[in-house]
Amino acid sequence: MTIFNYIACILLIVLGLYAVCTQKNLLKTIIGLSIIDYGVNLLIVSTGFNDGGSVPIYQMSDLLNGVSAQFFVDPVPQALTLTSIVIGACVNAMSLAIVVMIKKKYGSINVDDVRRLRG
Amino acid sequence: MIQHFPVLAVMGMFLGAFLIEIFGSKNAAVRNAISFITFTVVAGLVYALVKPIIIDGGVIAYWMGNWEPVAGYAIGIGYEVDALGLVFAIIAITAFWISNLYSFGYMKGEHHLGHYYTLFMMLCGSILGFCMTGDLFNMYIMVEIMTFSAVALTGFITEKDGALEAALKYLVLCSLGSGFILTGIALIYLQCHTLNIAQLASMLSGGLTPTTLLAFALTVAGFGVKSFMVPFHTPLADAHAVAPSPISMVLSGVVTKAGVYGMIRCIYIMFRAMDLTQMQIIITAFGAVTMFVGVSMALAQHDFKRLLAFHSISQVGYIITAAGLGTALGLTGGIFHAMNHMLFKGLLFLAAGAVLHQTGGVTNLDKLGGLSKRMPHTTVCFLFGAAAISGLPPFNGFASKWLIYQAAYTKAAETGNFYYLIITITALVVSVMTLASFVKIAQAVFFGQLSEENKDVKEAPAIMLVPMYILAALCLLTGIFYRPIAADFILPAVRSAVDVVKYIDVMMGEGYAAAAGVYNMAVSNVMVSSWSPIVYLILFVTVFIAAFIVILGSKSDRGATVEVDPKNAMKHSNFFSGEEAVYSHVGGSDMLWGYKYDFKPYYRVMEELHSGRVTDYCNMVVIATAIIVVFMFMFMR
Repeated sequence: MTIFNYIACILLIVLGLYAVCTQKNLLKTIIGLSIIDYGVNLLIVSTGFNDGGSVPIYQMSDLLNGVSAQFFVDPVPQALTLTSIVIGACVNAMSLAIVVMIKKKYGSINVDDVRRLRG
Repeated sequence: MIQHFPVLAVMGMFLGAFLIEIFGSKNAAVRNAISFITFTVVAGLVYALVKPIIIDGGVIAYWMGNWEPVAGYAIGIGYEVDALGLVFAIIAITAFWISNLYSFGYMKGEHHLGHYYTLFMMLCGSILGFCMTGDLFNMYIMVEIMTFSAVALTGFITEKDGALEAALKYLVLCSLGSGFILTGIALIYLQCHTLNIAQLASMLSGGLTPTTLLAFALTVAGFGVKSFMVPFHTPLADAHAVAPSPISMVLSGVVTKAGVYGMIRCIYIMFRAMDLTQMQIIITAFGAVTMFVGVSMALAQHDFKRLLAFHSISQVGYIITAAGLGTALGLTGGIFHAMNHMLFKGLLFLAAGAVLHQTGGVTNLDKLGGLSKRMPHTTVCFLFGAAAISGLPPFNGFASKWLIYQAAYTKAAETGNFYYLIITITALVVSVMTLASFVKIAQAVFFGQLSEENKDVKEAPAIMLVPMYILAALCLLTGIFYRPIAADFILPAVRSAVDVVKYIDVMMGEGYAAAAGVYNMAVSNVMVSSWSPIVYLILFVTVFIAAFIVILGSKSDRGATVEVDPKNAMKHSNFFSGEEAVYSHVGGSDMLWGYKYDFKPYYRVMEELHSGRVTDYCNMVVIATAIIVVFMFMFMR
């Protein structure tokens, strides 16, 4: 059933890119960025998933005796996803903080108004 | 003992950042002492690695927590330092050490300096980690720390006009780039179930599947965003222009190089795709466009630091082009130019910072002028940097640019491909245009008439002049002794970029590469080529004559009267022997005015592209990434 995960994550990434590329509101741009992030997180966590797999906790003796012949879920992508979620939260916090200050300074969060640096 | 140095260097930097946040937020002396000691100690640790890695040609591998590979599978996080990574780490730590010294003078009197130094040291630590790590996901983490601290430092002086805007654009575009890199990493993990670069290099040697091909394209695009090649370059120009000058120096000298390093690591070692002709063509094409767009935009700028920022883009284009040629000579020129660019562009940004600091924040080229009488030391340093970036002998820019021309020309001669001749000529023309734009800055800022407002400007304080003189001396020394530096310092890095087998064997155990069937890439190793300047001169003259004939033959408004705004008539009259205006100052935007007039259509298009809307910039990133992906799927399967 992992195929649905992959379809969903591609959809999420494309949706996020769409939001980033078309929306004029800076808040929506940032929402787009976080949607991309969620899509990528889903992709990473799906790479380690095994349908019906067990928890990856074993005794050393289990492994040596070959008791656990069944699949287990790969723990590495889960660790990666956690890290990536934390980073995504940082991106959100920081960009929202900047947007708040831009609103104070420019009086607007429309991309057409926030363009003093150009050319 | 020595194998602990890489990880100690990275940890030391983060520890210093932590200590400053605790002890240094109130007291300036404590803060400066902590940052100076940390940078010096870490620089010592990094320089101590020169002996075993560059001189003896070794590779240092270090497994975090001693989690060594089990049954040929890397489980833990590994640090692996080869000469390529070490050269970039040395570039980084040198730039940061000098920039830190300059910060003491430049940032004096700003608020929240404790946070400034914390972020500054986090930026340094992340770049060192990025250059030294042997783990793909760790590389991504370091890139993210780098982006955050760079963004925060860009907008550090929030009152400055445009600082927040530049920080936001930088953050949005770099997050897109990070998203591409992370997607690439996830796809690689999906295919190979490992994140160790050495193991990946041995697994990906048997050709690319569609999954890894997509991952490759996304990773290259992601690191392209980090190195700010055209069309990903737009936030860089904004960020460098508004950041505090010591930050501009490290952003342009080190952060862009980190992106280039990521690309080299990815293409040369991990995917080993550099011997493919299509790969060389796409990378050199991006590089050539980057150099040309960067320099042509620089010619049209009115702001001192923004102009320098566009030159950074152009010089990074040189490095990418040289690395993309896929020859040992080209990579030597590229890495040498990366080092030289840090030196001379750092010097130029520091000189710009001195002008900005002493005139009270003026960077508009039309409002400056005649400062050489008031700031002689800054002027001398600036002229050193300008000569180096324009590639005048005996400065370092000449040596590395010459290597790049030679590499591109040799490539053209070897392959018989006309395309590489165009690359060579582009590189030359860009160098000429660089010189032109530095003549413009020198005239607009340091020579000419001193304006009324700047009558009382003083020379910069000694703490700011010392770093500038260090950099100026390094520019001259690396230019004079280019041969030992290229042969003994840069060439080992090139060898390690090509010698994949050794990289894998040190990390994964002896014989691992041979068991996986990995061989070294067929990169032509010709260092001394049959290089004849005469042939080249003839070629250049021919091209010039052809261009001249084309221009003469085309319908033009030559000889027609140019409309001059009556308001500005006096300003232009000293081009036509007007006497009353002899002592008026020729402002920055009046220089090269005819050139800008002739290329009006081009500049109109460029202005449209650099619209300042973050949405447009994101569109450019997405379209360029799509082009890279499509190109790879069409030509590299």
